[in-house]
Amino acid sequence: MLSNFLSNYRSVTSLAFIVLAVVLVEFFEVRASIYPSLLPFFEWLKYSSWIGYLGITYGSVYATVQAGHLISMAIIGGTVLVTDLRLLGVLLKDIPSETITKGTHQCFKYSLSVAIATGIFCAAGVADKVYYMPVFWIKMLALLAGSGFVFFIKQPLLNSRSHSEIGQWTLRILAVASIFIWFTVAATGRWIGFS
Amino acid sequence: MLVSGYYSWNWLEATHVLTLMISIGSLFIIDFRMLGWVLPDVSATAIADRLHKPMIIGFSIMFITGILLVYAKPVENVQSLWFRIKMILLVLAFINAWVFNSRMRAADGTWDSTRVAPKPLRTGAIISLCLWCGVVAMGRFIPYDWVDCPKVSNTALLWASGCVEQLNAL
Repeated sequence: MLSNFLSNYRSVTSLAFIVLAVVLVEFFEVRASIYPSLLPFFEWLKYSSWIGYLGITYGSVYATVQAGHLISMAIIGGTVLVTDLRLLGVLLKDIPSETITKGTHQCFKYSLSVAIATGIFCAAGVADKVYYMPVFWIKMLALLAGSGFVFFIKQPLLNSRSHSEIGQWTLRILAVASIFIWFTVAATGRWIGFS
Repeated sequence: MLVSGYYSWNWLEATHVLTLMISIGSLFIIDFRMLGWVLPDVSATAIADRLHKPMIIGFSIMFITGILLVYAKPVENVQSLWFRIKMILLVLAFINAWVFNSRMRAADGTWDSTRVAPKPLRTGAIISLCLWCGVVAMGRFIPYDWVDCPKVSNTALLWASGCVEQLNAL
């Protein structure tokens, strides 16, 4: 029965394990002991890695990659907006929501990959600063939560059956949660610049 | 007041940048649809029509916050080469949007449900993507001081940045 349950709800149980692991890590103060050991990695990222070297040495390259990061975040915003406002019944009401969610997911995946790649470059250039910023870690957590939410909850649920079979309120909660998470990712990212 | 207030400036700048996700996000989805990269099974004009409203709301917020940001640091912005290029790109982007919209309305509807739009609309979409990427990049360059008036000695750059004092001193 347990194996049947696990195979039917593989994505959700995986995510539940991840959440449980995060809670345990926090509860047993594992994070507090891991945190100092991450500093050498951040210092290496800035002073010894080639991306850190590029970011520090060439300001124009750093600024261009930052622009790429912003553009990829804007595209993520566009796909999230179209998909979630459709699920909320605000936009494109005459087009089936299944078509919208499937039609934008590929674009979302590509722009998320670009955002992560450019984000690593941007963080490398200021790695010794972001390491000490709580807002940076909140962003990383939000990004992890957002990616987990999309790939383990939202997409598996939306692709599992016709949206008319999923409750209206489930779709709405899914859409609001998605907008909230991705807004948090973008807003905390912007706040890193002010910290 | 806008600059001295830590939160007022940050909120203003954050709103300006975050609204990118609504304005440019919607615009890029329209452009990507014309190129057949997203939602190829959905009518292209339906996408363009329905996303018009959120896009305009996004751009309106961006313009208001953008004007306030310039108002807060007028000399710094007006004498920035990047700001000047950004303004030129903005004007070009709006001309392109107007031409694109006129072409879309004038075209007969047979292409609407095809995977990619006709060549003139695809060209318009690519120009739009390039111009807006340029606008974002120039906006990102403004805080950097590579070509600030006191640091520049090149006459052409001084002229392009509007550095009157430095030009007169030459």
